[in-house]
Amino acid sequence: MASQQILFSPAELAYLHRSLSLKPPIRPDGRAPTQFRPLTAETGILPGTNGSARVHFSDGTEAIVGVKAEIEKTIEAPRAEESKPESNEAASERTRGDWLELAVEIPGQRDDEASTVFLSEMLREALLADKEFAKKLFINRRFHWRLYLDVLLISPPLSYPLPLLSLTTHLALLATRLPRLKSEGDEDPMFDDDWEASTFLYPQEGTATNGSRPPITLLVVAIGDNVIFDPAKEELAVAETALAVSVAEVRRAQKAGDMEVDSKGRELSLLSIRTIDPPSRLTPPGVPHTSNTGSSAFAPTKLQKAGDQETEGVWKAPLGGTKFGVLDGIIQAVLEKGGVADEVLDGLEGVELS
Amino acid sequence: MPITVLQPQPAAKRQAAAMSVDSDSDSDSGGGAEVHGEDILTPGTVITSNSQWMRGHGTYVQPGETAITSSLAGTLTKTNKLLSVRPLRARYTPEIGDLVVGRIVEVQAKRWRVDVAASQLAILQISAINLPGGILRKRTETDELQIRSFFAEGDLVVAEVQQLHQDGAASLHTRSLKYGKLRNGVFVSVSGIGGGSGVVRAKRQVWTMDVANAGGKVDVLLGVNGYIWISKHIESDTNAEAVGINRMEESVSSKVYSSQNDPLELSTMREIARIRSVILALVENRLKVDEDMVTKGYSEAVELGRESPDDDLYLGGEKGQRLAAALTGH
Repeated sequence: MASQQILFSPAELAYLHRSLSLKPPIRPDGRAPTQFRPLTAETGILPGTNGSARVHFSDGTEAIVGVKAEIEKTIEAPRAEESKPESNEAASERTRGDWLELAVEIPGQRDDEASTVFLSEMLREALLADKEFAKKLFINRRFHWRLYLDVLLISPPLSYPLPLLSLTTHLALLATRLPRLKSEGDEDPMFDDDWEASTFLYPQEGTATNGSRPPITLLVVAIGDNVIFDPAKEELAVAETALAVSVAEVRRAQKAGDMEVDSKGRELSLLSIRTIDPPSRLTPPGVPHTSNTGSSAFAPTKLQKAGDQETEGVWKAPLGGTKFGVLDGIIQAVLEKGGVADEVLDGLEGVELS
Repeated sequence: MPITVLQPQPAAKRQAAAMSVDSDSDSDSGGGAEVHGEDILTPGTVITSNSQWMRGHGTYVQPGETAITSSLAGTLTKTNKLLSVRPLRARYTPEIGDLVVGRIVEVQAKRWRVDVAASQLAILQISAINLPGGILRKRTETDELQIRSFFAEGDLVVAEVQQLHQDGAASLHTRSLKYGKLRNGVFVSVSGIGGGSGVVRAKRQVWTMDVANAGGKVDVLLGVNGYIWISKHIESDTNAEAVGINRMEESVSSKVYSSQNDPLELSTMREIARIRSVILALVENRLKVDEDMVTKGYSEAVELGRESPDDDLYLGGEKGQRLAAALTGH
């Protein structure tokens, strides 16, 4: 089979759309609108990598991510000749986004297929959006780390795998460790052989925790007035809008005088929003009882006028763009305190890093 | 709590040692004379070289040898002296008379190609369907030209396997009032699960059940191929069984090929979603899906739903395990 197209019958789509636009929506698997599928997560599964993670959704989809770091010589930009005193500004100028290489592999799909490339670009974009990430890869002016992120879906793509891949990438990056640098300045880098002494790419605790954390990308769909998280295949098929919303936590250094132990105070920053073309737009419309030529063998086969009036119970593909109110509602639902992104990050923090 | 993150569970506990078939063998063979109990066999694993065992499904004997070898990945079952391997995952193999739910994937000049979760697409000939109105006549070119008005790509049909071809492909027919296009419900696929889980052939694959919470009646259709359709029960005007083939044209409703859903009540839709999550929970916990299990599981799920204030429908994860434990009775 060349391309596995997800097929749905118009009657199914009409049923799903009706049940998902109710208030509250009835999802086909009975979840609450913001509920995720339960997932199993572990880190440090691949011994040969700098960091790795595996996430397994209860519906059987599973992904692993491996992070591998390599030292690479920085190609000098021509104007970097002037020897300025090393400042943070200069360092950020010299860091580049292409130090990160991200490859997504979906079984049964070519790696240069548009949808796979789009997926990997979405993940990459979220990672590089705050321009903090490449700074972490900076060693000195002559060398830098090159990070290879291999994202593998190991089950067939039962649903749009974006949330799964993003959560796995998040965990793998949290678990990524780089060897401790022993050399100083611009000399050839020397590293501590002891893996125990290695440092986390995203420091865990202590003073160095300020700065951004790895992002998560959530897939959100809107059906009617309902906002639904972590959609299954069936839900995506009737979605009027599908958005990939990337958020990351930003940690600020707590001032010494700030004694307020406010662990709940998580600051989220919105990194990117991408619209995903929902497959519902390409679905064929349903045929109402009245105009079905098949319902009577001798019915005149005259061309039915494409009636604009909607008949109850007949599927009609959604038309037009996303309304601003819907977009706003989705962003609110993601970003609000104690909202979904907050809860997801809470859940992922519970995963032991090894 | 919208998300639950669990720790990975260690693999299910196996029997400490592979059980020995009998105590006094082994001397003549350099290993492999033991029959592995709970272990998962892979294709090519020698199960036993002891000649007292007979080979069953999922095993073979190499020509010139006596050792019984597994040809599948699965667990071993022993029936008296018969050794067979139950596959972990298996594709549906069509058999004549099976009730299947299929999805049209291709429309050709005189026939449809239907996905029935088998290794090959099944064939539904235009001559093997009921014409609307139940008219009995030869299929003409006009019918062939408007073939998509009967079934189009993506449509779900319930049909019966009429014939098997040499290559294992199946031919279907829908020439009964019970068969045809599916409406007013949801689809769930549990195909590809071997080892006694998933849908098993049973006395009744279709039944109507009265659901709780004033949901009315719901039809459940378990296709032998693992495709399941759960829909609102629609009372037909005439009793399908009472109508002979001669009076078919009066009773075949003009709506058979329509894709318009009838008005559905919220309570019915909730209960349909509940039945769907019961089936998913059964499969997740590797239990078989049949009429008995689904009805029992459903009443259990209704009880479980009463525990939460807003009647939670979702049966994934821990709740599903509770459901499975209640059904298996330990």
